[in-house]
Amino acid sequence: MNNAVSNILRFLLVILAQIFVFRYTHLFGCVSIYIFLLALLMLPFEIPRWIQYLIAFATGFIIDIFNVTYGINASACMLMVFVRPFLVVALNGRKTDDIVDKPLPGVKDFRWLLAYTVILVFIQQFAAIMIETFSFQHFWKTLLVILGNTILSSTVILCCEYLFVPVKKRN
Amino acid sequence: MNNLSEFLKRNFHIFLFVILQIVCIIMISKSMKYTSFALHRVCQTIVAPINEAWYNVIRHFSLEAENEQLVQQNITLLNERDNAFTFKDDSVYTAVECDSNQRVKMRLYDYSYANIVYKTTEKTHNYIIIDKGRADGVTTDMAVLSAGGVCGVVSDVTEHFASIISLLHPDARISAKLLPSNQIGTVLWDGISARYAQLYDIPQHVPVSVGDSIVTSGYSNIFPKDILVGIVEDVHETGHSSFLTIKVRLATNFNNVNTVYLIRNIYTKEMDELKSNFKDE
Repeated sequence: MNNAVSNILRFLLVILAQIFVFRYTHLFGCVSIYIFLLALLMLPFEIPRWIQYLIAFATGFIIDIFNVTYGINASACMLMVFVRPFLVVALNGRKTDDIVDKPLPGVKDFRWLLAYTVILVFIQQFAAIMIETFSFQHFWKTLLVILGNTILSSTVILCCEYLFVPVKKRN
Repeated sequence: MNNLSEFLKRNFHIFLFVILQIVCIIMISKSMKYTSFALHRVCQTIVAPINEAWYNVIRHFSLEAENEQLVQQNITLLNERDNAFTFKDDSVYTAVECDSNQRVKMRLYDYSYANIVYKTTEKTHNYIIIDKGRADGVTTDMAVLSAGGVCGVVSDVTEHFASIISLLHPDARISAKLLPSNQIGTVLWDGISARYAQLYDIPQHVPVSVGDSIVTSGYSNIFPKDILVGIVEDVHETGHSSFLTIKVRLATNFNNVNTVYLIRNIYTKEMDELKSNFKDE
């Protein structure tokens, strides 16, 4: 139960931070931070997948309402959550389907978390920005923005994870 | 049958994923036209007040930059005002040659601005210190304006700072004009309140009513003409003299001035030369 409460609190906090602070921060005028992905990245794997999709949809849609981009972030977030189990299997190098490890610092080492975060954030950003621009006219410029968003967001997300998640198993 | 339900149960999440993605695609295609998108209107009724309230908070971080821009814009506008020029369009030649929009004019005054770093308002001799000095082209006897109106005169200049005798100083005498009647008088501070001063030398026969504007006369070669000094607050008739005593509500609120505009008279030297000739005689 404690776990559920902390998960919900994390969601609220991260979405509020995104809406009220990070929505207004832009580096070089176009690169921005999407910290709300932190909540989706740290979503426990034990939750049934269809609930995970609903959560991703709801989260993305709330962000969409404030960004006036109905459906774009919701779609991208769902895609990210959809890809997540496959990525974890690939990263773990196991053939088994049951993933019970938490994607948290302390449970997983830094390199695993780095790959996990960067790839998933890249997928989300790629989907969101590609749907938003909806053309390949300035593909390389768009890709640059996507990469910038991915690097900046991943950095902030990893920093937050290491700052706020209590590490018990490190020693 | 059992097989089918088993299949549906196992792959339910995939169906949900596809359905939600379709919902997203519908929303994206609908939101191409915001105005006819019902969801947009519903969401904005909730989100707009939040955004507005939060924007009022966020805005404070950019107020300084905004203020800087406004000051720059004010400088440009002040430089364009008619009282910064002398006109030569009264000659027959220019009246024939130019139409009314292209009057021949000569710039007399030049505006710049400075921020206040120190000021007093409660003492009997009040000064203001600003963050610009000789290095920025500030010289003594430059006129100083606030956003409201007349503020003072530069009295002393160092390399990077300058001090201003504010209007709230017994030595500050501003040659002023009472507006509807164009009667010239002198504005002097009486040392009581930072909001009020006195206008002297207005004869008793001049009609004065509360609310009349008092502007600079433009005869001092420090201030351009027609800059607001204050508004008539109260009129007394002093029995033994033939002049009125007029209480003036000052246009500048000295308690909340932060930025001042400096006015440079481009031809001060020439005018001073002529004045020095007066003294020799």
